[in-house]
Amino acid sequence: MTAQIVDRESATSERKWRRRSLWSLVLLIPLSLAIESYDSVKALLGDSDLFPRRVAWGESARFGGSDWKLTDLRGAFGMSNLPPDSVPVLADFKVKIGDPDLQNRWLGCKVMLIDKDGRRWSPTSIVSLKATDNVQTCISAIFSGAKSGDTLNLRETFLVPKEATKSVRPAVGLASERPHFLLFQLEKD
Amino acid sequence: MLENAGSRLKAWLAAGIGTVAAIAVAGVMGAFGARQEPLPVLVPAGRIETAQWLLRPLKAYSAEGENLYGVPLKPGAKALVLELEMTNRTAKSTKDYFDVLQANLAMVNPTKPFIVLTRDSTLSPELHPGMPERMAYIWQLPDGTAPPASLELTVIRKTYKQRDNLYGLPGWFNPAPVGTLTLPVGSGPGSADIQP
Amino acid sequence: MMRKLANIVLLLVAVSLCYGLQLSKPHHGDLIGPIPARGKLGDTVVGRGFEIRAEKVEFARKLKADRFGDSKVLTTGGIWAVVTVEFAARAQSTTVAVASWRGPTGLTYDQTERLSFTDGLLPVAIDPGLPKKARLIFELRPDEASDAVVLVSEKLMSALDSQAEIWLGPVAIGPDGLPPGTVDTLDMTQPI
Repeated sequence: MTAQIVDRESATSERKWRRRSLWSLVLLIPLSLAIESYDSVKALLGDSDLFPRRVAWGESARFGGSDWKLTDLRGAFGMSNLPPDSVPVLADFKVKIGDPDLQNRWLGCKVMLIDKDGRRWSPTSIVSLKATDNVQTCISAIFSGAKSGDTLNLRETFLVPKEATKSVRPAVGLASERPHFLLFQLEKD
Repeated sequence: MLENAGSRLKAWLAAGIGTVAAIAVAGVMGAFGARQEPLPVLVPAGRIETAQWLLRPLKAYSAEGENLYGVPLKPGAKALVLELEMTNRTAKSTKDYFDVLQANLAMVNPTKPFIVLTRDSTLSPELHPGMPERMAYIWQLPDGTAPPASLELTVIRKTYKQRDNLYGLPGWFNPAPVGTLTLPVGSGPGSADIQP
Repeated sequence: MMRKLANIVLLLVAVSLCYGLQLSKPHHGDLIGPIPARGKLGDTVVGRGFEIRAEKVEFARKLKADRFGDSKVLTTGGIWAVVTVEFAARAQSTTVAVASWRGPTGLTYDQTERLSFTDGLLPVAIDPGLPKKARLIFELRPDEASDAVVLVSEKLMSALDSQAEIWLGPVAIGPDGLPPGTVDTLDMTQPI
């Protein structure tokens, strides 16, 4: 008689725990997946320019501890010795240095052009246009020893097909800010 | 109580004997492994096979550093040169020939010869499967040392592994000596090739 | 009795099943290897980051090239094979750096390192919308010339990335052991 009761009680408690265990899987499986993939996701996000932060024409944006402003984007037409239907494009930035630790904050600096279809152009080495002395590239600026409050002039040169020149917009990515990047708008936007 | 003590003693004894046996076996095997087989002496006129390479020594000589296959030696430095024909026996282009020959010379850094394709003085290019090429190993001698009368070399082979333990990719590992080789050192690049 | 026998049979089945699974498991190297994008001479082969079209294959006994401003003739123990290709980047600018020639017996010849100074050799930087020609130059045994596949990828360890595999088709071998179209000297100083 008593044994039967104990049996029945243990059976119900067993069923109860079985149900609890099953339900806890609903929580535990996604949790373990998240923990497992945390490092990979972090590496992926820290390595790619995924989310644009739009900057209106004439405005500057805080990025990597400094204030970035697009001053000019223009094509250099009429050059010889270039592939057919290609145009060199120059992007000029003015950057007011805030945090002078550029070697950390600007690490992995990547300036690019992005067109309306999302195609991305990196700076080219085919075209080298004469520049005045105080113009630097993003990478050379990292080692320039610029101090807080200085203003740097940066210029990058790209080679873009003629059909894309209308829709390209300059963008800047830094390792310290990834996955976000700056996407500069033009006056006509 | 007594029974208990007895079984404990038995357990200790078994463990002790096991340990002693293991140490003895390991010691004996270690002793076998440590016995140095003398390296075979290779004939310079023959063809020498390592797993990756087929080597045919051609000549060894000492030379002044001027215009020696375009190698960047210190001006005025003397160099010891070994010319040989190398054939890549593997299925892929490779430049895994930096460890193949080790010069047993006290005065030169034995690991760092310049290795040149004599055809057009390309510094350490990849060699391609089944295509014999004449190569020159060039050891720079320290200032003021006279070149030796003979050049003693150790030939090293590696073993192919289908999958390495780190990436699971094929590769060549575990360098081990094949034998030693002694060549007379002539003076100047004009000396004749060794004929098989 | 029957029950015991059934258990043993079940155990054997389980063992053989596990062994089969172990045998057929792909190795790490296969799992993370390059992903082939196949085509033949004249096709546009589309990979993840780049497109390539092989235009022509030429064979030569010697190459003429510029080396530090001097014109130089490069000889070889085999023959030179020069594949003229056109590259295009897809979604973003990239660099194509690695090419090799896989002969009919599986011997793999990497792009030569004896011409690294000449224009038009890999590595080549490519941009979206701007097709660019290049030369892939190999030194190989003449008996590896026919039915070859040219392998092109962006990086040396192109793990989980596309590798273009372009089949070049049969090449007749003449009585002198060389392909009939083999020229004496190809001039690499000419623009592509």
